Amino acid sequence: MTQPPIWWSLARSEEVTGTTLLAADIGDQPVVLWRDKQGVARALEDRCPHRRAPLSLGCVRGNGWIQCGYHGWSYDGATGRLAEIPNMKGDQRFPPLYKAERFGVAEGGGLVRVCLDANAAPPALPAAALKLSGTSFVAMAQDRYVAALFDAPGLLIGIRGVVFTPYLMSELREEDGKLVMERSCQWKGFAWPSAFSSDFPITLTTRTDPETGETGMVLRDTEMNTLLTAVVAPVPAARGVTAIRWRAAIGAKRPGLHAKLLVGNSAFRVFQAVDAAALRVLKPSASLHGDDLRTARLARSEAA
Amino acid sequence: MLTTIDRPSDARFAPPGRVPLPALNAGVNNWVPHDLVMRDTWFPLAHAAGIGTRPVRRSVYSHPYFLWREDGVAVAADHHPNEGCMARGNPMTNAFGRYPVMEQYGIVWGWFGNPDAADPVHLPSLPFLPPKGGLPGYMTGTVRFDCSAPISLENLIDLTHADFLHANVVGDEKSESESIEVSWTSETVTMVRSCTGKTVAPVMKFFSGIRQPTQNIRQVIHIYLRSHCAIAYGRFSPGDDVPLFHPCVPETRDRTRLDYVMNTSNAGFMFRHVMPKASYLVSRQDSSMTSPQSPRYMRQTKRRDLHSKFDAAGQRYRLLMQDLAARQAAGDFAYRDNVSADCGDLIGLRRELFAF
Repeated sequence: MTQPPIWWSLARSEEVTGTTLLAADIGDQPVVLWRDKQGVARALEDRCPHRRAPLSLGCVRGNGWIQCGYHGWSYDGATGRLAEIPNMKGDQRFPPLYKAERFGVAEGGGLVRVCLDANAAPPALPAAALKLSGTSFVAMAQDRYVAALFDAPGLLIGIRGVVFTPYLMSELREEDGKLVMERSCQWKGFAWPSAFSSDFPITLTTRTDPETGETGMVLRDTEMNTLLTAVVAPVPAARGVTAIRWRAAIGAKRPGLHAKLLVGNSAFRVFQAVDAAALRVLKPSASLHGDDLRTARLARSEAA
Repeated sequence: MLTTIDRPSDARFAPPGRVPLPALNAGVNNWVPHDLVMRDTWFPLAHAAGIGTRPVRRSVYSHPYFLWREDGVAVAADHHPNEGCMARGNPMTNAFGRYPVMEQYGIVWGWFGNPDAADPVHLPSLPFLPPKGGLPGYMTGTVRFDCSAPISLENLIDLTHADFLHANVVGDEKSESESIEVSWTSETVTMVRSCTGKTVAPVMKFFSGIRQPTQNIRQVIHIYLRSHCAIAYGRFSPGDDVPLFHPCVPETRDRTRLDYVMNTSNAGFMFRHVMPKASYLVSRQDSSMTSPQSPRYMRQTKRRDLHSKFDAAGQRYRLLMQDLAARQAAGDFAYRDNVSADCGDLIGLRRELFAF
C-alpha cells in the first residue's frame, strides 16, 4: 500500500493574496502561492517552464493569472496551463504541454495546505481559523524540530507566563491517528522547582500528525478550563530549514491572574531561533516514542 | 570481578534458606525497564494530607487518576468531575469511573489493574510508619525523576553509587569492610549492605553531632516489585535510625514520582528536621545520572552492561521484574507471596523506636 499524499501547511491564509506572490518550499521543491480572481488559493512550481525563472518574481494579473516577471508568460492557477504570451496577438492557443507544474491546494482553519500530488483528494479541514497567527523560520531540519517539540517544547515555543516542565501527565500515544501527549506546566514566578512540585496548575496537551508534524495544542488548568488553543505546522523547507506557520486563540474563561494575562498578539510565540547548546544536551524520550509509533504505523499500513 | 553474563548463577546469589528461581529466558542484560508495566497493585499516589475536596491529578502509566475527598473519604476517578459524564468502559474502574482506593500509612493508594482483585492484603508492609499516618509534614515531600521508575529503583538498591554521587551527604567510599547480601521473593527483593569503619556521613557530622571519624552502617533496601515502593532503612552506629519510604510511581513509562516519607521521629531536633530535606539534594544528584541513563534503556541492545559483585541486588531486581512481567504477560496476576506481611524483622527494624 502506498502512503497517502501529504498535505503541508505552507502558508497562513493571510499570507496568500491576490496582489502579491508568496514563495515557499516543501523541502527542495519551490512553490509559489497566490489567490485568483475568485479568491481561491493556487499553487504552482516556482519555476517558469519557459526559462526556469522563479514565477514568484512576477505578479498577479487583474484576471487572477500569474505572470512571469522575465518574459511575461501568464498561467492559469486552476490548471497550470499557459494562458498568454505577450505580443502573440490573436494566436494564444497552446498545446497541453505548455503548462507549469500544478500542486493541490486546500484551505481551511486559516492555513493553506499544499500537496505535491495535484490530484490528491483534499483533506477534511476546520472552517474556523484561530485568530492569532505568525510565521517563523528555524535553521533546523523538520524531523529534528518535531522531535524537539516532543522532548522540550520550551526550546521552540513560548506561551506567556508558562514554563514547560519535563514531567508528563501522559506519554506519547496514538489516538485517532494523532500522536498525543500531555505535559505538566507551571506559571512563571514563584513556584517550587518542578522536580519538587507535588501538583501543577496547568497542562499542555499536544496532538501531532505523524506525517506532517502539524501539532494542535490545548493549554488547560486543573479545572479543565481551556486557556489557549494553538496549531503549529512545521514544514520542511529548503536547506534543512523548517518553516513554521502557527495560529492560536485565547480561551474565554481564564480564571486566575496568570491566565488573565494571556492576552494580545504575543501571548503565543514560535521562536525564530533555537538554543543550540540546550538542544545538543536535550535527552530524547517522547521523541523515541514518536519514532516507535511511526514505525508501528508504517508496519500496519504495509501489512494492509 | 567483572562479568557480562546474562543470568548470574543462583548459587552465587542465593542466600542461605532461599530457593533459587527457575531459569528463565530473560536476562539482566536484556533489560528494557521502560517496557515493564506492572498491574494489579496498589500505587502510592499522594500524601493523605495533600488530598482535600478539590480534585488533584495523578497518573499511573499515563492513566489519569483524579483524587479528592467525599465526606472525608478519599476517592479516585479516571476523569475530573468538571468533565461530566464521559464514555465509560475503563476496565480498571467501576461503572462510574472510580478506581479502588485505600488510605494507609498517611498515603492515599490507588489500585491499578482489575478492580475486582483490589485487596488490602496486597498493600506493602511499611512497619516504620504509623498505620493511620499523622507524621509531621516536614518528614514528607515530593520529588520527581525524568526516568523510568525501575531505573530509579535500581539506582536505590545499588547503594555503592551513594559513596560517589552523594558523598557530600552520606560520606565517601572509604571503609574497613563492606558486604552486600540479597534475598528475594516473587514480589520483593531485599538488599542489606553492611560497612564497618566507614567515613561518617557529613549530614550526621553536622546535624547529629557525631564526633567520631568513622561509623558502622547497616543499610537495607527492600523493594516491592509491583507497586514500585521501596523501603530504605539505614542504621548508623554511632548515629540514628533513618527509615525512608521511597516509592517510585511510574506516572508514565519514563517519568517517576516519589511522595516520600522519612520517619526521623527518634532523631535529635536538628537531624530530625534536616534529614528529610536531604532528599531534595540527593534526588537531583541521582537525577543527573538516571535522566541520561533512561533513554539508553528504552530499547533492546546487544551491548551488554558490565557488573561487579556489588551489583548482585540490582541484577536480582532486573530478573525478578522481568519474571513478574513475564507472568503478567501470560495472564497470571496472582500474588505468590504476601506483601502485607510485616517486614520489620526482615529489614532489621528496631521496633522499640517505631512503636505505634
